[in-house]
Amino acid sequence: MLSRSAQGLYWMGRYLERAEHLCRMLRLQTEALVDRPVREIYLGWSRIYGAMNRQPPMGSIELDGDEYTLADSYTLADDLTFERSHPNSVWSCFALGRENARQMRHCISAGMWTRLNLAYLRIQKLEIQDIWRTSPESFYAETSVEIDTFAGVAESTMYRDEGWSFMQIGRLIERAQLSISLLLAQTSTEENTDSDWISLLRIRHALEAYNRRYSVEVKPSQVLNLLVTDPLLPGSLCRSFDVAAAELASIAPGPDSRSSGAAHRLAGRLCALVHYEWPDRQDREDLLWQMSRHCRDLHDLLTAAYFDYPIEDSPVL
Amino acid sequence: MNFDNYELDPSIYDEMFTRDGAPREHCRKIYEALSEFSAEELGSIQERVTRSFSSEGITFTVYGDEEADERIIPIDCLPRVMGGADWRQLEAGLTQRLKALNLFLEDVYGQARIIEDGVIPVDVVRGCPQYRVEMRGFSAPHGTWVAICGTDLVRTNDGFRVLEDNLRVPSGVSYMLANRKAAKTSMRVLYRSSKVQEVEHYGRVLLETLRELAPRGRSDPSIALLTPGVYNSAFYEHMFLAGEIGAELVEGRDLIVNDGFVYMRTTTGLRRVDVVYRRVDDDFVDPLVFRPDSLLGVPGLLHAYKLGNVALVNAPGTGVADDKSVYAYVPDMIRYYLSQEPILSNVETRLCRRPEDLEYTLDNLQDLVVKRVGESGGYGMLIGPHSTQEERNEYAEQVRADPADFISQPVLALSRSPCLIEGGFEPRHVDLRPFVLHGRTTRIVPGAFCRVALRRGSLVVNSSQGGGGKDFWVLED
Repeated sequence: MLSRSAQGLYWMGRYLERAEHLCRMLRLQTEALVDRPVREIYLGWSRIYGAMNRQPPMGSIELDGDEYTLADSYTLADDLTFERSHPNSVWSCFALGRENARQMRHCISAGMWTRLNLAYLRIQKLEIQDIWRTSPESFYAETSVEIDTFAGVAESTMYRDEGWSFMQIGRLIERAQLSISLLLAQTSTEENTDSDWISLLRIRHALEAYNRRYSVEVKPSQVLNLLVTDPLLPGSLCRSFDVAAAELASIAPGPDSRSSGAAHRLAGRLCALVHYEWPDRQDREDLLWQMSRHCRDLHDLLTAAYFDYPIEDSPVL
Repeated sequence: MNFDNYELDPSIYDEMFTRDGAPREHCRKIYEALSEFSAEELGSIQERVTRSFSSEGITFTVYGDEEADERIIPIDCLPRVMGGADWRQLEAGLTQRLKALNLFLEDVYGQARIIEDGVIPVDVVRGCPQYRVEMRGFSAPHGTWVAICGTDLVRTNDGFRVLEDNLRVPSGVSYMLANRKAAKTSMRVLYRSSKVQEVEHYGRVLLETLRELAPRGRSDPSIALLTPGVYNSAFYEHMFLAGEIGAELVEGRDLIVNDGFVYMRTTTGLRRVDVVYRRVDDDFVDPLVFRPDSLLGVPGLLHAYKLGNVALVNAPGTGVADDKSVYAYVPDMIRYYLSQEPILSNVETRLCRRPEDLEYTLDNLQDLVVKRVGESGGYGMLIGPHSTQEERNEYAEQVRADPADFISQPVLALSRSPCLIEGGFEPRHVDLRPFVLHGRTTRIVPGAFCRVALRRGSLVVNSSQGGGGKDFWVLED
């Protein structure tokens, strides 16, 4: 497969995963605006900006009277959802995912493209005031569903060639990185309430699984274990790394054999960290930081091995 | 809905009706079917067609228009219909014309007998900016310089006329296929009963053509479609065609030339490319030979082509044969190379480089269409009857300053075809761009991109100038 196509599909996977993740966070946050105490709303925004490593448009978020926090919420939601100049807003991620799909249309199925394009045409016209007055949470819910549907159409229609693998690897690395940032944001805060842990589970699509596997009673250590090590949970780190490593193993080695080999080993190492390190480690925050760095390195290695390799000494087929 | 208020003008050929208002023989069935649809039904058909274009993202880009970088080409849901006999005549004419044009290119870059024999003046050829000295002495494999051609045809009361031979990187074929898909699903019963000849195999025919041109001994050639990229107005088409023929869609930066062979950068290493279907203009295709500032092309591509290690489709330099001045000589080329009379006529063309033609053009500006030789896409032209005195004065100055850059033609009464306009049937001017493919043999899919000037009274069909399209049906006999 053409390197540029593979790279386009990889990025498509990443951007759409990012858009969906953000939609899920914003859905919970806008739901909270209805009935949660102002302090919780304030912490919610801080956590989202913290996890994204981004400054809010007004510089910092102040915990002030009711009305201020709610008015700020409008600005913050706009910034995270529709801000064109913000590369990680829902709008930008969606547009970039769709732009990659547009350029690689011949590499994906027709159904995937149509799904994504229709969703894009819907979102493209919207602005914050269109969603804010009625039900912002339904906008986020619908957008999440659209990306899920896209993934479902991909699952049932896309040819399982390298393009599929690169798209999956992009999604999974992104998913793991976002998950790790959330977990870090959560573990670094002292004052987590039950509802914070439940939010975390909901953002990772894991609340139902948690209730089934454990109970409705929330224990932080169990939440962490589920999100990190449960092989049955689609959004767990364990599953993301296992599937990414398997997809990577199914791709022929890249022309830059050094980076390619290093990428394979690093993917394996990430799997080993969740399977064999996590259960016995006390300093889990450190371990999460380590995994986060590895994810970034894996991205660089993949780029060097498959997309951007030096052509001077690469093999001729 | 009926055609009671449909306006007929005896000076303009109508695709559906004869001069006295009766539907043409081959149009009877569609005439009846359209009359039976209610206004609501037609409205919803039109809406569905438009929606399908937008959801599938069938778009083009208008240059200099930052707002709408992806526009949808407006599609009229009523098909234009042609009988099988008319089509066969066109087919014969197009085949003859392309054969002569390929012989001309082989000759003009070779011994130039046609110039020596005084059929075409030397300055018309050598003065043409599309004449590529870099191609002199080159002989194209199988004599095929132009493998893909999209000829613009118009119909008048006096029959068909060739308006332009597009021999460089003609576009529009994806619209032929998209229009067909949309028309087929929206007028199911009518389509089935009309016995329309298929066009859906265009991709396969294109693939066969490209394979025939692969360098010797490559039985399963690897094919790449070279696009200028996503900002090109026809990017949708490039992507679409790459999918149709199973080619990689590449940009210049994906290709490299090494030891005279062309390779593309894949995830497993460099893979050799045997055929490049390039949709990048000559100027940009190889910065080592043509424009050195081009980032769209591939350094060394022309060298690899000349060595015979890769096929370039179309060959560089074909623009000299569809130049607006050289166009005037195509009928003579047909007589010269084939010893045949042209089946398809030209539009009477005056070359302002000739003093008597210049004088005539300047004296009759209000009745003529004047075009710049080097422009395409409807840019830089003057339509006399639709212009103001001031515009004509200004244009006349430009013509006087560089007469060789201009040609003039009479304003043609382009034929009209019924369109659905604001809930009623109204005639609009149309043209026709069929696609002629030639590898070692000529192949023409029985269909075309039919362009429509959707603005009332307008004669400009170019998509970049507010034109639209409609499906074109060639019926079986």
